[in-house]
Amino acid sequence: MKFEWFVASRYLRSRRKQSFISIISIISIGGVALGVATVILAIAVLNGVEHGLKDRFLANEAHIVFHLHNYSFFDNYQKRIEQIEAIDEVIATSPVVLSQTAVFPEHSDSIQDVIHIKGVDPVLEDKVTGFSKFVDGSTDFLNSTFLEDARLIRNETITGGIILGARLAARLGVIKGDVLRLIVKLVESPMHASMLVPDLANFVVIGFYESEMAVYDNNFGFVHIDTAQKLYNRPNRVNTIFVQLTDADLAPQIARQIEDTVQFSVLEGMPDARTWMELQAPLFSALRMEKILTVVIEALIILVAAFNIASTLIMTVMEKTKAVGTLRTLGASRGNIMRIFMIQGSVIGLLGTILGTALGLSLCWLLSSNSVRPSYWYTFALIVPVLLQVFIILRRALPRGGGWKFGLSVLWLISIGFALYCAVRPISLVDLGLSQVYQMHQLPVQVNWFFVIFINALSFLICWLATLYPAWQAANLKPVEALQHE
Amino acid sequence: MGNTVETLIRVIDLHKSYYDGEVELPVLQGIDLEIYTSELLAVVGASGVGKSTLLHIIGTLDQPTVGSVLYDEQDIFTLPDTDLALFRNKEIGFVFQFHHLLPEFTALENVAMGALITTRNNKLVYEEAEALLDYVGLSERLSHYPSQLSGGERQRVAIARALINQPKVVLADEPTGNLDRRSSESVLELLWDLNSKSGQTFVIVTHNQDLSQRVDRVVQLVDGKVS
Repeated sequence: MKFEWFVASRYLRSRRKQSFISIISIISIGGVALGVATVILAIAVLNGVEHGLKDRFLANEAHIVFHLHNYSFFDNYQKRIEQIEAIDEVIATSPVVLSQTAVFPEHSDSIQDVIHIKGVDPVLEDKVTGFSKFVDGSTDFLNSTFLEDARLIRNETITGGIILGARLAARLGVIKGDVLRLIVKLVESPMHASMLVPDLANFVVIGFYESEMAVYDNNFGFVHIDTAQKLYNRPNRVNTIFVQLTDADLAPQIARQIEDTVQFSVLEGMPDARTWMELQAPLFSALRMEKILTVVIEALIILVAAFNIASTLIMTVMEKTKAVGTLRTLGASRGNIMRIFMIQGSVIGLLGTILGTALGLSLCWLLSSNSVRPSYWYTFALIVPVLLQVFIILRRALPRGGGWKFGLSVLWLISIGFALYCAVRPISLVDLGLSQVYQMHQLPVQVNWFFVIFINALSFLICWLATLYPAWQAANLKPVEALQHE
Repeated sequence: MGNTVETLIRVIDLHKSYYDGEVELPVLQGIDLEIYTSELLAVVGASGVGKSTLLHIIGTLDQPTVGSVLYDEQDIFTLPDTDLALFRNKEIGFVFQFHHLLPEFTALENVAMGALITTRNNKLVYEEAEALLDYVGLSERLSHYPSQLSGGERQRVAIARALINQPKVVLADEPTGNLDRRSSESVLELLWDLNSKSGQTFVIVTHNQDLSQRVDRVVQLVDGKVS
């Protein structure tokens, strides 16, 4: 291989008259590099988004939500909880009463919203969903000062305290201490037994819940579990059990285990243990689909770059036809010739892959570090190499010495990389619409090293395959015809 | 080289035709030729008679349509490509009308190239190449590129290159065809000197009358046959 390397490396550098080809090698290297860099960047961002979302979900979401079909109430939930907690991987459980109710604020005479009510035991709920972390104010539903104030000063009949999702509260225009009226159920009218009238319950807003998960912040109100049980006339019963595990990724397996081990009577109904993954399935499967599509599209970009390599090599072969003839007369075999051009293409592929990986990883690094805050404007960084290039073309000359050309290529690469970064960086999640739902303010980036290695191998393989045809073509040139080629 | 005549190359009933579509263009039409060890043989003939084609086939660069070429009684066209390339590398040196030096490589590298294909010891090869360049009078031009050399110098580099693996036979196709009188002289001097010193066999294709009078034997091609 020594001989082939010797010839191939000289052809790659080609510092004598044939500078044309070596500029083309640079372009080929750049093509592969950009392909690899964008795929690494794109996948890192998609990974980051997925991971960010996952973290956010898991911050205040139970790993498993366990209930019966139609949310009917469990008969003896304490026993169920015992059974669930007997599983090793279960850290904590929280019995919950889940329901919906219509709401109208103090000074309103019409229904403003229908909200989800979650009746929780603050202490138990804290262990499962980190409840108190997200609450602005006390989580003591039963003994809040707001309750006393409402009862004494306003002379209202107060059922209990309620913690409202922050955005819901903003929408309703209520502040702490305000009274909300909830229509919990319909009851028979005291006047006419045949008539149904709404059973109103008054709750005092004692705090706000802000988790940055729109589902909760927009739609949920939290009350004490006892209050909820009383409201629905289901003393000492719950309809949902929230479960926290040692590892969120174990959820599917443990969910099945819970369904299998916890016994139910047929009358109660079928148990249903849903994992956080199932609850968010549409989003995560959309993300996964997006990732697959991105990989496919980026693989196509690398394929285009590989075609670039192939055409570069075909041109090189055409240009070196006479040299191939000469080498054949000197006793180079077909194999020797083939390897010369394969090495040439592989080196282009390898350099492109390495440069692309470096570029992609540094872009990821820039994105994840908060120090640089560019805008679209900075993509004008590209003007510098463009002006230099135009200047050189107009002067029709490059200053003597190869260092210049190399320096300019490096400048191009850096500028393109920086411009790419500047183009990507200012896109906030507001533009993507994600901010509204999941409230992420920064494009999250997470590099998957296995994927980086995979894409490196893939890129190199594609480039290597691209060398086969031109190299084969060179190897099969007829020596005499090649010698006489002009 | 005395009177013991050994046959190095035997060309038997060699035919070569080129095809232009369906039309057959016969070039060589039954060449029988013996080339003896250490002789200086000139092949002459009108242009287009197939001198170069014959040389290419003897040099294994082209395949005959019919017939065979035996080196030491071995039919070389039965060899697979790899072996044929190795044979060409070890046993045959080429000098062409146009120098065919590789422009990206220095004179020294061009000379060494033939040996680098098969040798592991680069240092030895470069020493050898240097000695050869010294021998052809270019010891001052080792690191010059072909574009920095004169026509005569290039041809002398090409001759040095042909000799790097000490081939049994050197095939020269109009080696002075592209040179002025003075350069031609020095190149020819070199060939005679080599032939007398090394005992290598030289086959020179030429239509230079002057040259053909100074060789051991002349073979004339007429209408694709040895006349």
